[in-house]
Amino acid sequence: MTRLNLKIMRRELCYMWRDHGLRNILLFGPLLGLFLFLAIYHAQNISNIPTAIVDLDRSSSSREIVEKMNNAENLKVVAYPTNYHELESQIQRGKIIVGVVIPENFARDVALHRHTQVLLIIDASNTAYATNASTAVLGVTRTISAEAGIKTLISKGMDPAQAQATYLAVDFKEEGWFNPTLNYAYFLVLAMALNLWQQCCTIAASINVIGETGVKSWLQIKAIGVSKLRLFFNKSVIHIITFMLMVIPIYIIAFGIFKLPLACGIGPLFFFTLLFAIALHSLGTLMSSIANNAVDSTRFGMMVALPSFVLSGYTWPIEAMPRFLQSVVWIFPQTWFFQGFNYLSFKNPGWDFMASYFWALIIIALVCYSLTTLITAWMER
Amino acid sequence: MGEQQSVVEVKDLVQKFFLKPVLNGVSLQLFPGECLGIFGLRGSGKTSLLHILAGVDRFSSGTVEVLGCNISKSQQFKQKMGLVTQEPSLFQDLSVMENLDFIAALKNVRQENIGRVTAQLELKEYLRHPITALDVGLYQRLALACALLNSPRLLILDELIKDIDLYSRHLIIKQLKPFLQGGGACICGFSNMDMADFFDRVGWLEYGQLEILAPSQARKKWNNLVDSYQEGAEIE
Repeated sequence: MTRLNLKIMRRELCYMWRDHGLRNILLFGPLLGLFLFLAIYHAQNISNIPTAIVDLDRSSSSREIVEKMNNAENLKVVAYPTNYHELESQIQRGKIIVGVVIPENFARDVALHRHTQVLLIIDASNTAYATNASTAVLGVTRTISAEAGIKTLISKGMDPAQAQATYLAVDFKEEGWFNPTLNYAYFLVLAMALNLWQQCCTIAASINVIGETGVKSWLQIKAIGVSKLRLFFNKSVIHIITFMLMVIPIYIIAFGIFKLPLACGIGPLFFFTLLFAIALHSLGTLMSSIANNAVDSTRFGMMVALPSFVLSGYTWPIEAMPRFLQSVVWIFPQTWFFQGFNYLSFKNPGWDFMASYFWALIIIALVCYSLTTLITAWMER
Repeated sequence: MGEQQSVVEVKDLVQKFFLKPVLNGVSLQLFPGECLGIFGLRGSGKTSLLHILAGVDRFSSGTVEVLGCNISKSQQFKQKMGLVTQEPSLFQDLSVMENLDFIAALKNVRQENIGRVTAQLELKEYLRHPITALDVGLYQRLALACALLNSPRLLILDELIKDIDLYSRHLIIKQLKPFLQGGGACICGFSNMDMADFFDRVGWLEYGQLEILAPSQARKKWNNLVDSYQEGAEIE
């Protein structure tokens, strides 16, 4: 490596270090994000969901339901309103998420094998809460339904063992794979920290070209006649090394200390992240080559970086997006990375499957860097 | 002088910005040991002309040869050229020493040259200073030091000693004299006619045209202009 290459790299490091805002964002932004998200999702699941039961029957049968609700995992019965309107009011004020209304004559209808209906209300205004509440309630209602069915068969003269065997003839065995406990921390914490990291990286890379050509010192570079390819190559090497140095502590903390799942091993993930850092840098560099000034370029960077995580399909399936978006989202390296990251961290489906994700990042980088070279050369003319 | 190999030779140079000609058929020659001042008021095209000669800006038509290179075809001349721009163009995020060190690396010259130019322009005690903390005179001394790092044969200086302290001005002129005596050539943009005597010839740039004058002629032309406006003001 020549003296000039080293000097360009050193100068770029100085520039990044002495820009206090940029330095603090790059050093602390993603790490703070990781700790913040770990703190938010430390519970891993939503438990103690506030539940209220309106028992209008007050029979032994209805008390059985109350007891089952009390024993249900993740539900916490905190109130026993005396009527429906009182329950409605508590749900409206956010004190209760799950409401159960046991009707009058519930025990009598069950005894007479009449159809009866227990009302289950779930506050669905918060989808995360609602999904967890539904899962918790479903476990209880299945048991209650099964018991009621078995009792009906017994009352019709069937042997208890036979009634149970008849009712449970089809056994649905549930197996949650890759994240069996539906752990939010496993699913979201690292991905969100990496989202913050990629946002910082995109914004930093988005001033690569304009940060040089948009300032007066560019006159010195031009007057000396330094090769632009050499200048930007060396600057880019430092940027990408910095991006990777930023992500190393995140991976150490996530996998080493907090033991988040990693199915593929650190080597492939690190290589995949390196390719993503290069692709991300190329995208930022491309934006920096078309911007009129550094402020515009940073705006472009933010416009891409901020929505890219949502568009990546990590939190909402790409297949559920509008058809025109389903193709567009694959233009962004973030989509390939976050989709690939999910596979690598949870499933490790093997090289045959993952190769396209690695190649996509390489192709995006090549296209963006080539376009940047053409645009920069054209602008110089 | 005419038989000497010229350092700069410009023929029919035209530069347009958005179809408006800034330089309209400018021709000039500069010879070794000569210092040519380009005089013009703000917006006259001085900086455009100097930036074209430095290979920083492109031009619409005409031919420009610097140090024997047609600058449209080769950038070789940059190895033997130094530029001081009108607006501060050193690396703002670096200190004095870091600027010298970085520009020396960009110019691919030896580190020893840094010691030479810092001694010549008395910068040694400021080496650790951030350049944003330098006053104008010191900054211009540093800018010249950076331009001299590669021992150039041509210096292009845009408003180098405008509005600077007298000591810095004295130091800069003191360094330019041996540079010219050693066969170097210098082309300087200036806008204060008091400096005309420093130059061997003055190029008067106005309405895109360059008129080459002796310094005394240039000053006389300037004085006549000033007088004509004063008379006009008195009549009114």
